Amino acid sequence: MNALISAEADLADVASVLAGDVRAFEGIVRRWQGPLVNMAWRYCRDRGRAEEMAQEAFIRAWRGLSHWRRESSFSTWLFALAANVYRSELKRIPTETLPLDAAPEPCGAATQHCESEKRERYDGVRRAVMALPLRYREPVILYYFQEMDLAAAARTMGLPEGTLKARLSRARALLRQRFPHLQEMKDEHDPLEYSTLETGKEATN
Amino acid sequence: MKATETIRADEDSGGVERSAKIETRIETRIETRIETRIETRIESQIERILAAEDELIPTSGFLASVMERIQEEAAAPPPIPFPWKRALPGALLAAGTAGWGAVELMQSGSLKLDLAARNSFTLAMLHPSAALVSSAESAGWVALALGASLLSWLLARRLAGLGGPL
Repeated sequence: MNALISAEADLADVASVLAGDVRAFEGIVRRWQGPLVNMAWRYCRDRGRAEEMAQEAFIRAWRGLSHWRRESSFSTWLFALAANVYRSELKRIPTETLPLDAAPEPCGAATQHCESEKRERYDGVRRAVMALPLRYREPVILYYFQEMDLAAAARTMGLPEGTLKARLSRARALLRQRFPHLQEMKDEHDPLEYSTLETGKEATN
Repeated sequence: MKATETIRADEDSGGVERSAKIETRIETRIETRIETRIETRIESQIERILAAEDELIPTSGFLASVMERIQEEAAAPPPIPFPWKRALPGALLAAGTAGWGAVELMQSGSLKLDLAARNSFTLAMLHPSAALVSSAESAGWVALALGASLLSWLLARRLAGLGGPL
């Protein structure tokens, strides 16, 4: 319902901007500033730079508003445009990231209940995502961080769904290789316990 | 009796082999299943970690700063498009001149080659009056320079929008 309202509001604002009302663009910025700044932040992990990148994306959107052909939703068009801006920005000035092997291995099951340990583990995985090559990092950002579905992420990146799926799978494989001990971590939300696997094996034997 | 025992022994060994095969198959299947489940588990851990990130709230001045830039862009005069229509005659003239120059160069080159192939007597026959040729050449260059100056002046006026005969 909210998405529907947003889509309608976007359409109305775009029509007003194209009719010459520059101030109508404020509505668009207000609605999309959060998602675009967050997306930029996930690309570069630098707050100041993220806002600069998001600002550039909004300006490009304003310039290119008349080129939006309404074949896809406004949000898809905006995200695709923003992704292009962020990608070229990162190519121009790459972020300083640790190599994937240097990302610290998260701690094991014994200490995981400690909040700081948990945060450390989460940060480790996020740093590892940042260390992925951009072709694998971008699908992870859009699919997991931005919570887009496969089709939306593929449209945003201008790739076929199959290619995006393959890149996601490769990214996960790289992360799995880097963090083999993640399987040992007990999670209160995860119904699948490692012990059940062992029990299952014994029972079948 | 012996034959019966042999058959029984064969049956026994066949049964053992079969059960060993079944066991191996079951073990492989279990291992694959466990590996898949471990992979799923790691992936779900990764997914959870990646999805559980806090949202970043844009700074309070972000909206204002974007709108300021948008207003600036809107207030700025639109970029002047390149005057292709006006530049076309000039471009054509330049292309024509370049083409003519190229043709002349090629002709003079072939003439030189041709002259080199002949003897000095023929060379002398081609230039009956050196003084006449020299003065005609000078007059030609002056005329060409004057023409080029006139054309560039007219073209500049036309590009600047002051009108003109071009």
